[in-house]
Amino acid sequence: MKIIMKKYIKLIVSSWLLLTLITACNNSFLDEKVLDAYAPATLDNKLGFEASAIGLYNHFSTWLTTTNDQTILGMFQLGTDITWNPMGRSNGNARPYMDYATLTSTDDAADKYWNYLYKLINNANILIYNADNSSANDMNADELAAYKAEASFFRAWAYNKLVTFWGDVPMVTEPLTEPKTDFTRASASDVNALIISDLQFAVSNLPDVDAAKEARANQSMARQQLAEVYLRTDQPAKAEEQCTAIINSGKFSLVKERYGDTSFPGDAFSDMFRVGKQRRSQGNTEAIWVLEQENPADVPGGSTGYPQQRRVWGAGYHDIQGLTMCDSLGGRGLTRMRLDNWVLYDLYGKNDMRNSRFTIHRQHYFNDPAAKYDAVRGLPVPYGKDTTFELGGDNGQLKIFAIDTVYKLAPYTLKWGQFDPRDTFGYGMWKDFILMRLGETYLLRAEARFKQNDLDGAAADINVLRNRAHAATVSSSQITMNFILDERARELVGEENRRETLVRTGTLIDRAKSLNGTAPLADGNIETTNGIQDYNVLFPIPQNEIDLNKDATLEQNSGY
Amino acid sequence: MTVFEIHKLYCKTMKKKRLYSCRGNLCTKKFWLSMKLTLIFTLLATFSVYAGTYAQSTKLNMKFQDQQIKEILGEIENQTQFSFMYDNNQVDVNRKVNLDAQGKSVAEVLDELFAGTNTTYKVIDRHIMLFKKDDPTYTYQNQTISGTVTDSNGEPMPGVTVVVKGTTRGTITDVSGNYTIDASGSDILVFSFIGMASQEIPVGEQSTINVQMKEEAVGVDEVVVVGYGSQKRSDITGSVTSVPKERLGKLPVTNLMHAIEGSTAGLNVTQNSSVPGSSGTMQIRGINSINANTSPFIVLDGIPFFGQTNDINPNDIESIEILKDASAVAIYGTRGANGVILITTKRGNKSAGAPKITYNGHVGVETMEHKLKPMSPERFVQKYADYNTQNGLAQTSVLPNASEIENYNAGITTDWLDETTQLGNIQDHNLSISGGTDHVQYYVSGSYLDEKGVVKGYQYKRTSFRSNIDAKINDYLKVGTSAFFTNNNKDGGHANFLNGMAMSPYSVPRDENGNYIIYPMAPEQLFSNPLLGLTTDQLNRSLNLTGNGYAEVTPGFAKGLKYRLNASYIMNIARTASYTGRADNDQSGTATVSNDNTSNWVIENILSYTKDFGKNHIDFTGLYSAQKVDYFRNWAQSKSFINDALSYYKMSAGVSQANDTRGNGYTLVSQMGRINYSYDSRYLLTLTARRDGYSAFGANTNKYGLFPSMALGWNIANESFMQGMDQVNQLKLRFSYGQTGNQAIDPNQTETTAATVQYPFGGTALTGVLYNTLGNVNLNWETTTASNVGVDFGFFNFRVAGTVEVYKTKTKDILLKRNLPGITGYQNVWANLGKMQNVGLDVTLKTVNISTDDFKWSTDLNFSTYKNKILDLYGDGKDDIGNRWFIGQPIHVVYNYEKTGIWQEGEDVSQTDPGAQPGDLKYKDQNGDHQITADDRVILGQSDPKWIGGMTNTFSYKNFNLSIFLQTSQGGLKSNRDLTYADEAWRRNLPADWHYWTPENKDNYWPGLAAYKNYRGYSFPEDWSYLRIKDITFSYNVPKAVLNQYKIDDLTLYVTGRNLYTFTKWFGWDPEMNYDSRGSGDWTNNYPPVRTISFGLNITL
Repeated sequence: MKIIMKKYIKLIVSSWLLLTLITACNNSFLDEKVLDAYAPATLDNKLGFEASAIGLYNHFSTWLTTTNDQTILGMFQLGTDITWNPMGRSNGNARPYMDYATLTSTDDAADKYWNYLYKLINNANILIYNADNSSANDMNADELAAYKAEASFFRAWAYNKLVTFWGDVPMVTEPLTEPKTDFTRASASDVNALIISDLQFAVSNLPDVDAAKEARANQSMARQQLAEVYLRTDQPAKAEEQCTAIINSGKFSLVKERYGDTSFPGDAFSDMFRVGKQRRSQGNTEAIWVLEQENPADVPGGSTGYPQQRRVWGAGYHDIQGLTMCDSLGGRGLTRMRLDNWVLYDLYGKNDMRNSRFTIHRQHYFNDPAAKYDAVRGLPVPYGKDTTFELGGDNGQLKIFAIDTVYKLAPYTLKWGQFDPRDTFGYGMWKDFILMRLGETYLLRAEARFKQNDLDGAAADINVLRNRAHAATVSSSQITMNFILDERARELVGEENRRETLVRTGTLIDRAKSLNGTAPLADGNIETTNGIQDYNVLFPIPQNEIDLNKDATLEQNSGY
Repeated sequence: MTVFEIHKLYCKTMKKKRLYSCRGNLCTKKFWLSMKLTLIFTLLATFSVYAGTYAQSTKLNMKFQDQQIKEILGEIENQTQFSFMYDNNQVDVNRKVNLDAQGKSVAEVLDELFAGTNTTYKVIDRHIMLFKKDDPTYTYQNQTISGTVTDSNGEPMPGVTVVVKGTTRGTITDVSGNYTIDASGSDILVFSFIGMASQEIPVGEQSTINVQMKEEAVGVDEVVVVGYGSQKRSDITGSVTSVPKERLGKLPVTNLMHAIEGSTAGLNVTQNSSVPGSSGTMQIRGINSINANTSPFIVLDGIPFFGQTNDINPNDIESIEILKDASAVAIYGTRGANGVILITTKRGNKSAGAPKITYNGHVGVETMEHKLKPMSPERFVQKYADYNTQNGLAQTSVLPNASEIENYNAGITTDWLDETTQLGNIQDHNLSISGGTDHVQYYVSGSYLDEKGVVKGYQYKRTSFRSNIDAKINDYLKVGTSAFFTNNNKDGGHANFLNGMAMSPYSVPRDENGNYIIYPMAPEQLFSNPLLGLTTDQLNRSLNLTGNGYAEVTPGFAKGLKYRLNASYIMNIARTASYTGRADNDQSGTATVSNDNTSNWVIENILSYTKDFGKNHIDFTGLYSAQKVDYFRNWAQSKSFINDALSYYKMSAGVSQANDTRGNGYTLVSQMGRINYSYDSRYLLTLTARRDGYSAFGANTNKYGLFPSMALGWNIANESFMQGMDQVNQLKLRFSYGQTGNQAIDPNQTETTAATVQYPFGGTALTGVLYNTLGNVNLNWETTTASNVGVDFGFFNFRVAGTVEVYKTKTKDILLKRNLPGITGYQNVWANLGKMQNVGLDVTLKTVNISTDDFKWSTDLNFSTYKNKILDLYGDGKDDIGNRWFIGQPIHVVYNYEKTGIWQEGEDVSQTDPGAQPGDLKYKDQNGDHQITADDRVILGQSDPKWIGGMTNTFSYKNFNLSIFLQTSQGGLKSNRDLTYADEAWRRNLPADWHYWTPENKDNYWPGLAAYKNYRGYSFPEDWSYLRIKDITFSYNVPKAVLNQYKIDDLTLYVTGRNLYTFTKWFGWDPEMNYDSRGSGDWTNNYPPVRTISFGLNITL
């Protein structure tokens, strides 16, 4: 009996021992370790700072590459003075921005843009805070300052958008350590002060364009942004000073001759927008800030989404029988927006290179290689009239309709043209984003000089661009704010955030009404600007933000 | 007692406790007699000599003054190893006597106690039987009847009691199930066995009476698994529901969730998809949490289950118990709050002797239960014309696309629904071998299931193997294993059912060479050929390898003490590989592979102790356990291949490559104690407490939570005052109160972390970090406090039986993924916030409506309803509109505009919705400000059903059996994606029953084709209530007489129809399933509801 009892005891004891061994130190057994994500503490060294900076570019790009939704890019172009909505083409998030009666506090696009900007601000805040509080020993003060300057640039960029589109906005300048739901709107002047101080810091601490790694923040980017902010805050002299610093830096020059691969037809202006020629390292001497983008089929991680620019700006000519997609036609577009008649027919003078067929495509020629189109191939596609072609044999007829000009044959900018024969559907557009170039610097300085009554200086700056474009020069007497805005359209259509320019210069309402029209055209097939009111200059504060910010009141902008 | 022992109970000799406490109507005289006789005949011969010696030699030490005899007997039991058995009606044990038994033997004391009465006694081993001297047990003279008793599988049943009704005269069956008894022609034989329904058979002219015993579903002595042990149904104080066993076989289902949907009160199963191999979601008694997991905790054979429900072969399941109230689930601590499902698989039976081989299989065909036919070519053309008219667009061609026009002119149409679907089929084969000896019992099974879906390319195969072994090493040590392996195979590229519904009838799937045309509606590229997916290579496997082992020690030195060690190691492996090539419009080719490995070990030490003293019975169970889970994933992708020849087998052949790994893990340490106390089987008490530590809680917390509970039970039917009420067979009142927890958050939620992201610079992507998760170092478990009142009843010999329960739960410190203002830079954060309440009612009712010799009709009904209410969110009593959470409302509500109709021509919109056009949705201007704004949104209803229920009617006539099962869900609202195709309506096909407003038909339900411009985010919420004829099974048991010729023990043939018809107002494929619209969600889950008709057979050798 005793022997048996010993056996039991042994068994029980050894089992308990086994468990005790495994769970001996309860505390460490229950300790948690994050294995596959970085925590702030693990990023306090040079590589960590570098990664944090790259994160800013990643997030920054997400707005340019978003497909949520596919029309959203149009919010900054529709309902202004340059684009129309072909019926049914921009009925998603962009629609309220031309059909203003539907722009309400629950607007999706405003909510998405707001959240995008504050996420950029939070990540910039973390990098700025870390730079100020770093205990890393592999970076000197200059290196830390450079990272801080890079983050400050993005923070200022984001706040500039916020204050432009919403007016007073909550101002967050430090990383959050716990949930916060009691934000209030800071005055626009306080926000402007932060933006200017951030940009001044960036100007002082960012490397110049040659010292900076390509596509990373440089001093001139900060200057150009600062110039725009000075203009918005009515400090034209300071704006001019920043522009002059860029122009006189000797680092940039307007592209006046063709460069790089010239085996395809083109001109100097259109070369800048050609895949493979957009970057400074690829010969674009005008480039101040070109954000790189690679086709993810070739470079994993090459893009943060499926950019919609080509599909938004390009025409749906592929819907026409006898036409097929190709490189020179810029790939597949959906005409979610259509350039308005003011841009197409009134804006450009004769011989303006910025209106050449390499930049604004107007005339199609039948190009489908299929045998059934032998009879028409090479013929111009009629524009604006019903036409029937006999294809011969059993091939029947090919019909072109006047109505096809609404979106299938609408003239379009090739600045976002891109074609990959491996991917004809082209859900994404794989080319770089030209975000700042010297051409705009001249326009900003012209505006600054105009505001200081230096009309000669303004005209001189504008003529620099017009000379490059082989357009007729202008005299100082022709310079008005409207002329400068026209010139911006001529130079930057498709590139600039047109809504921002018009809001910044206080001209949105007038120009949208007078240049874009307020009534539908072509029997309702084209929508213009509908129902814009004075309060629409500012966006509504997103209702979600008001609702979630439960411990304080975020005042809504008036009118919403 | 452990889960593994319930099978042993099949032929187990009665425990002392049960004999002693048998009395009243609940445990009838018949029962008592059978027990007595069981013992007499099994033990008499073996032990009587030895017993007599023991009775003489054991000396007592006791002295009583004016004490009831039954108390004295109790004390004798305490001092000796004896137990008494007697019938209250025969022996007067309430008589009070004086007794001085110091140093006397048991025999001496008994002689003294019953001197002068007609009571005598008999000692058999450690048992002492008291009975009347003139008991007619041994005085009879009649003919000899003999026969064999078998179980429901036709297996001989030893140990079955056979008694002549109204006497104590009887016998028990031998090892081969045979018996012999003397009885007269007017006698009735009563066959009884624990856990089986008693049968009464008049003798008549018969000299051979063979009986097949049937398991009793609601029997009071059913033994039920309750977690870390099992209990008699009558002793249970908590809310434990058993899933009807009929739901576990004979159904052409691939997942146990499909089998039990609608079968059990309080259990809500929703099948979101009919895709082969899909499972569904389960909820027990509603939702207690806002963002954390609300799925019940599954325990398989006593071990926390790890895997997907598909891994459990329904044919291996012996029983499923659902634990619902706090008392039942509190022993699972932080994993109990969502309810617990205990699944027990079949084990070997030592009484079987020779191996028992069972084959169970069925083959069937699958069709679409309800077809949402697409519009005819004619209507498709008309729709485009109407779209143009309503949107003021000039129509330049009959259809939008060149290819459509070509086909239109040539008169070519395609039935795309036909192209994308097929006749499905299913076959399922299960083979098991079980058996055993006293020392080793085994159950080994293998199964193969093969389902071909109704949409082309969908298929599901499952191969599983199970081995359950129990071995008794010696008197004190028993060991065993439960091991299984399951491979789920969902290989294959799928046809895109969503696109199949969308394709223009004027388009064709194949070119002249028979290859799929990529864009049949060219130049339209939004809708590609739905059949393209069939050209892709897709491997999709998941593997579950589970090994459980146990050792059980029952030391002889401490009676009632048992120690059990459970150890379990589980490996889940999920493997996918995919290649999409040129034929699928991927012009460079993409290969993707992934491997997910999750390993999990659990060690449990369970100590249990059972003790009886007098009428008191105590069970104690203690647990100390630890668990660790590790997850690791690797993923790789390669693009740009020369051609499609190598599929995913040579990824380095691709030009651009990417890869990723992930890993995390968690640990859990638990202690649990439980005491079950019962007094005289009348008054029951259960006390439990569990303490859990979970690694994923915040570093600022101690990571431990304590969850106590208590429960009371009162077996009213056992009370003496109920003695005369023969129509009441069972009446039990239960109450429980306690706390449970929910830890259900993933690891690594408590730290602020940055995601790694990439951005290209100079042609190469560099890695960056992006802060996107705000951590919460104070994150802790949520606590649910629950009370439950239940009544179990059985009337008229269990012709009417059931359970009614009401419960109330309150959850605090809810694990809430709280949305934050975007200003913070984050979207949300996990927090312990808020309070929620559920009040509910579960009803289970079983009635035997007709019961004759040949015909029987019974009905099983279950009904559950609950009201869910948010009590508070952030401690300030304010709603959170951003998250659609409203105080006083259920957690899932539809908050939207109230649609009142469609704007008609000539109606004045200016006072309600200026700008609305005829054909637009008409919303109610709730605040009367003459415009429709965000403020006009209201709560339209709840998403979860208000009540659910199920009803089974079973008819049996001789060997034929018909079972009809109805299932219903009522009162939920959800968004119906099939009511809107927004701005795609003009360019794709739509369901034939889809209508739209036109100025002519003035429809007041369907909006016009231009209305989408003014939807304002309306989500088209609709009532998704339905009543479904879930399944009908018709089966035939081939008579034994026929089978015996072929040496077959049992053969059942059946035909089953599943998802036969659905009654609903819902527009679409199916109200229960979820359908995504294009561009959102996952089109692979869009799948029609499936009807299955199958033929099956169960055969046992």
